[in-house]
Formats: sequence, C-alpha cells, structure tokens
Amino acid sequence: MSDLSAVSIQGLTKRYGGFTAVRELNLEVAPGEILGFLGLNGAGKTTTIRILLDLLRPTSGHAFVFGHNCQRNSLRARAEIGYLPAEMSIYPDLTGRDVLHLFAGLHSRPSSLTLRGELQERFQLPDRDLRRRLREYSTGMKRKLGLIQAFQSDPRLLILDEPTEGLDPLMQEAFYALLADTRRRGGTVFMSSHVLSEVERVCDRIALLRAGELALLRTVGELRDLAIRRVRVILNADTPPPSELPNGARLIGADARTLTFEVDGVLGPLLATLRPFPVADMEVGEAKLEDVVLKYYRGGERQ
Amino acid sequence: MKAPALFIAHSLKRSRALVLSMGILLSVFQVLLILVAGSIQRSGGFSQIAAMLPPFVREMMGPSIATFMSYAGIVSLGYFHLSVMGSLVGLSIAIATVPASEVETGFIDLILSRPLRRHWIITRTIVVLLVSFTFVLGCMTLGTWIGLSTLSPAGVVRPSVRLIGMLAGNLVLLMLAWGGVALAIAAGSRRRSVAGGITGVMALAMFLLDYIGRLWKPAQSVAWLSPFRYYSPFDLVMGTPLPGKNVLILSAIALAGFAAAYVMFSRRDISH
Repeated sequence: MSDLSAVSIQGLTKRYGGFTAVRELNLEVAPGEILGFLGLNGAGKTTTIRILLDLLRPTSGHAFVFGHNCQRNSLRARAEIGYLPAEMSIYPDLTGRDVLHLFAGLHSRPSSLTLRGELQERFQLPDRDLRRRLREYSTGMKRKLGLIQAFQSDPRLLILDEPTEGLDPLMQEAFYALLADTRRRGGTVFMSSHVLSEVERVCDRIALLRAGELALLRTVGELRDLAIRRVRVILNADTPPPSELPNGARLIGADARTLTFEVDGVLGPLLATLRPFPVADMEVGEAKLEDVVLKYYRGGERQ
Repeated sequence: MKAPALFIAHSLKRSRALVLSMGILLSVFQVLLILVAGSIQRSGGFSQIAAMLPPFVREMMGPSIATFMSYAGIVSLGYFHLSVMGSLVGLSIAIATVPASEVETGFIDLILSRPLRRHWIITRTIVVLLVSFTFVLGCMTLGTWIGLSTLSPAGVVRPSVRLIGMLAGNLVLLMLAWGGVALAIAAGSRRRSVAGGITGVMALAMFLLDYIGRLWKPAQSVAWLSPFRYYSPFDLVMGTPLPGKNVLILSAIALAGFAAAYVMFSRRDISH
C-alpha cells in the first residue's frame, strides 16, 4: 500500500519524554485525494506534518511520501512536496520576489514562470507587490505569497497548514478553485484546517486526531450520514406522536399537528414508522459535518 | 549543487551589511592607530609612555615592552586591542548562531521542506564564517597598508608584512575557533539568545582566564584551557615566529566545534 499511496503513515509514534504527541498513527492518502487533517491545538497535527518533512524524527513507526521513507530517503520524499507552514516566518527585509526566487531555487522540481504568473494572477499578487519588502505585507498578502511558493514548483503532494488563515473571502474562493484544479491534474493535498465548512467543501476525506490518536477517518459523505438531522413533520390532523421510535430517532418536540425529531443516521426507519400518520409536509434539515466533528472534538466518540 | 549554492549566496547576502560595516570600521581603526603612532613617534613619546606604565604591566610584558612601545608595536596593537578582539568574537557569535535563529523563527522549516540536506545549514554557516573573517581581516590589513603607506613618518621602522600576516592569520584562527564553539552550541539550541549568551559568557570567562594566567603564576596551570592562550601577539611582535602549536590547537578547536555541530544538527528534532 505504501508504494501506491501519496502519503503512508504506519504505526507512527512520537514521544517527548513522558508526553506522547502522536500515538500509533496509521493513515493512507491516495494520489489525487484531498485529505482534511483535523484536530484541536496540540492534537498532534503539526507533529505529524513535521515528521513527513523530516523536521522531527519519529520515536517508532514510519512515514512515506510516494513510497519514499520520509527519514531514510527524505530528500526524495521532500522533492515531491510543496509546503505551506501555518506561519510564514521569513526575514521581513526580503522582497516577495526574493522569497519566490529562493524557494523555487531550493526545489529540485523546476519552477515555471508561467505557472508562477498564473498563481500571481489567481491570488492577485502582481509584480509590483512582489517588489515590496515583506515588512510592508499584510497578513493576507503573506499568505498569498506562501501559497504561491508552495504551488510554484507544481509538486505532487501539497502539505498545507491552515491555508486560508488571513485570506479574504475572494481569495479563499481563488484558493478553492486552485485546489479543484490541482485535484483535476492528479495532485494530492494534505491539508490541516480549523475551518470545518472549508474542509467539508474541498476535502474528499477527513482524518481527525485527538490527543495524538486517530479518532476519525471517513469520507465527507460518510460523515454527513453520521450527522444528526432535524426532521419536522407537519400533519393534516391532530395526532398523538408515535409511541415507539426506531433506533437513532428521538422526538424533541410535539404539538397538535407538528412533530420534530432528531435522527442520528439514515432516515428510512423513521419514515417507515410515520407511514400510518397523516403527513402533510416534511422538512429535513441539512446534515452538518460540523455537528459530527464537534462531537469527536469533545471526546468520547471513536470511528 | 544549484540549491546549496543559492542558499549560501542568500546567506552571504544577508550577512553582507554586518560584515562590510565591521570591515570598514576595523580598517579605519587601523588607520587611526597608525595616525596616533606617527604622532607619538614625531613627539618622541614612546620612552615616556613606557616609563609611565605601572610596574605590574611592565613585569607582565617583560622585555617585549621595548618592542611594544615603538611605532611598529602600536601599529600591531590594532590586531589585539580589546575592542578589536571583542568585536571579532561578537561577529563570530553573530554568524555562527544563525542556525539557532532560523530554528527559532521557523524559517528553517521552509528551507528544509525543500530537498536540501541538513548538513548544508552547518556548511553554509562555516562558509559564511570563513568568507567573513577573510574579508574583515583583509580589510584590516588593507587599512594597515594604506595607513603605513600614507601616514608613516620618514625613516621610522615599520612592522614587517610577515608580522602583520602572522597576527592576522593567528587572529583568524582564534575567531574560527570561537565560531566553532558558537556553532556547536547553536546547532543544539532553539534560541539564538541562549546560544549567543552561553558563547559570550564562555568567551569572556576564557579571556579572563588567559589574562589572569599571564599575571598570576598559579593560574597558569589552567590557563591552557583558554583558546586565547593560543594567540600570542606580544611574542609575534617580539619577532617570535607563529608557533605551530597555536595553529594546531586553534584549528583543532574550530574543527571539533564544526564536527560537533554537524553531528548534533543532523540528529536533532527541529521544532521552535
């Protein structure tokens, strides 16, 4: 599996003295996939990313990028990666152009000026701005520069840490469009984010870390199915609520002609229960990924 | 080699302002010293100054006092004056602790996310140290040459090119030794201030140890521990050739520091 995967993490553990930052993590990311890597602060996301980049050495276990061991063959692994850190810590006296030139030159994949131009256009960062020093950049401009330096070598794997932090809504849209294009071209994205609506929108799968352990690994569709939905049933006549409800359904409100349920899982069994009732109309609330993820954040739940 | 060369060029570019200003400052200092030496020479004041020195200083300097209290001696002072030594040790620490600063700020995350071997962080720093000291000492000797060519009183005995060369060479080795110590400490540090602070305090302690060792006989038994022990400008001014032992020990300290830095940096976790 590891030879086929864009990212393969096998039994990865990282300890700092008595503290375990990541524990026995197993994760595979397929080429062309966009994986949302979620978790509260201190859950182990950054530690995992730093092991992929060989900045940290695991206590046990292995990580591979396109079959290259991230520690033993780290140069080959890193040659496939474009990285955007959560914070762009770059000398403020450098110009944007210096930054792009330096990081393009350090990559073994050749950067094309055409691609850089396209990225500049997408993120509205013209040459005029690139001639300015970073100390004059706003947070959003630094983020745009960070995204351009990560994408400019057209790497096969993008590791993005909070990519839209500081971007305005228009630039967020530009970023989502870039991700869609990247996916179309077969690029893989390993993306850490706290913005659940964004993850829901752009990611194929979600991996959620809690206290260094993988608490959840599902597709976005599967997660939506897990979400608790609110169902409001309007009746034609005064009717008492059903005396028995299927597993996963709970009556949370009832008046003469309206029943409100919360349903955890598929709706079929509830609809079957309601068949004898004089149903005039029905409203089903949209399943929200956020509800499921927050449940896992709070603890107790496991995939 | 394109990526490492680009990285080294980037680092040299970043340190150019500091190194350039240090080179200019110290070369101007050499010219000023030559100006002062010429003025004393013209007024015939060298013997008076020697007579005014406190007895313990005369005792410490021994017979070298006569040589030192001369035009050539004062000109040579530019290579072992306390402010010059302090500035150069400071420059050594500033350059050698760059890896710790890059870890602290997170800049290194972006550098090492590229396919660049870790050893280039240390190799780059050593190259910058070598280039910087060659440049600064080059500026100093240039300052000395310009000063001597234009400001020397007629008929005065000037310091030989060999003496200036030996002083500069010994000083470069001393600074590389401190660069090695600072780099070894920085390679294991997450904070530049910690690495710089530890090296600075060590340098001060070692300077005092050497100084006390020269004044107080019982301290001589431990004074050999100080790298400053292996920079002996008074002996050089007296005409003694640069001792091979000094060259060997200072080179060994520098190389041991560089080797320790390579090992530590290749094994460490990089987190800020």
